[in-house]
Amino acid sequence: MRPLVTDSYAMRVWQARYFWIHLSLADLRSRWRGSFFGILWTLIQPVGTTLLIALVFGKIFHAPITEYAPYILSGMIVWDFVIASATAGSLSFVQADAYIRQCKQPLAIYTLRTVLTNLVVLSLASVGLLAWVLVVMPQNFGWSWVAALTIFPILALAGWPLATLLAYFATRFRDLPYALGLAFQAMWFASPIYFEADTFRKGGLNALVDYNPIYHLLQIVRAPLLHGAWPTLENYAYCLVSIGVLALLAIVVGIRTEKVMIFYL
Amino acid sequence: MSTNRISLQDVNLHYSSVGFRDRSLKAWLSRVFHTKSGHAEIHDVHALKNVNVEIRAGERVGLLGHNGAGKTTFLKMLAGLYPISGGRRLVDGTIRSLFDLSLGFEPDASGRENILYRGLLLGLAPRYMRSLESEIVAFADLGEFIDYPIKTYSAGMQVRLAFAISTAVGGDVLLLDEVIGVGDEDFMKKAKQRIHSLIDRSEILVLATHDVSSLSSLCDRALVFDHGALIFDGSVDAAIAAYRISQASVT
Repeated sequence: MRPLVTDSYAMRVWQARYFWIHLSLADLRSRWRGSFFGILWTLIQPVGTTLLIALVFGKIFHAPITEYAPYILSGMIVWDFVIASATAGSLSFVQADAYIRQCKQPLAIYTLRTVLTNLVVLSLASVGLLAWVLVVMPQNFGWSWVAALTIFPILALAGWPLATLLAYFATRFRDLPYALGLAFQAMWFASPIYFEADTFRKGGLNALVDYNPIYHLLQIVRAPLLHGAWPTLENYAYCLVSIGVLALLAIVVGIRTEKVMIFYL
Repeated sequence: MSTNRISLQDVNLHYSSVGFRDRSLKAWLSRVFHTKSGHAEIHDVHALKNVNVEIRAGERVGLLGHNGAGKTTFLKMLAGLYPISGGRRLVDGTIRSLFDLSLGFEPDASGRENILYRGLLLGLAPRYMRSLESEIVAFADLGEFIDYPIKTYSAGMQVRLAFAISTAVGGDVLLLDEVIGVGDEDFMKKAKQRIHSLIDRSEILVLATHDVSSLSSLCDRALVFDHGALIFDGSVDAAIAAYRISQASVT
């Protein structure tokens, strides 16, 4: 008997591990190659942007900059990961078309490459956040920070199916990335990413916080780092359900379309 | 006794017309809402029609046919790149295919790095590729350019490197598409020898070419394709005759 399709697919992704790990490392090398600060840009860029935003928003919302800035920074680096996984991820197959035309490999390795690259960038950027919080709010340091680390597997498990799902569609519909840009802009406005959750609640927009997976995702990092508290089970539940839905969609679409993707390239 | 074989039963292959239509959300929406449009209808292309072939270990098979007859499609279908729309396809053995040689280089990485990447794409381990590296570098014979980024290479140099990498690793089932004819004269000689040794090591060879002389020297069986259908399967000499007749009947 032939093994289950999903089994052998996962197996083939594993067998190709040297390839996608190397592609990802090559992405990182070319990202950092030829720039004066190199790898440091990944750290400097979000911190610099955060300072600018915190200065302006801090004045508007009368929030103390030192505490409001880490809030923005945590939102920014996680959101950057989501955006990059969605937009760069949706182009993963098109970008890898030379490989796809030459050698039969599971297509999900090409989105895994993108997600892995983004994850490394996020890890580096989070060093800036950690340093900031340790200086400004040292009282928050404690065991709950272990929970903040779970953001990495959660983002990887959510970003991979998200990127894969969008890549199937974006290969078929070449103008999808433009539509995605708009959709994510809207999600950004409707989520407590830069704006504080309390701002939404004061405006009577509780639903945008309580039922928003992005809010719960961010709480995994924000509860420990910014409040010294553990994320709630509800936070994790929202994340796991989102992962499940994304994975299911990616698998359903993949079973139907993975084989014919080569015709759309 | 080796069990490598290729078995095709009533294989059909359609190129999805979506791939060569306007592939935007906008176009899709306009198709959904206005079924009639001024453009000519574009249909799926029926690229392989009811192909039945059995190839056993040890066979050297050549493919003949006019441009667009389905030779490359046939090879890519064997390689598992193109999905079949009907029938049964069975290929036992590790497949090594040489088509679109210079595709898939990372332009910013050096030739040496690309040796590794290409090997990894083929599913090989980094350690194994490093053990082959010096041999590949020597064969490609690019001098100091091997440590330069690929984007500085001429087209000929890229093909040399691609050829050196792709032929350094053998497989049970070797699929070749018009690769005999790369590089300058010196390189051609080396390349021919290399192809011969690769063919000797493989269990099954399927070769698509227009060069009748290399076909008769390399193969002991030939398939003739005409508009996606298999019209002849037999000895090379008879196949060349059948191919010429089919060509003559067209003109």
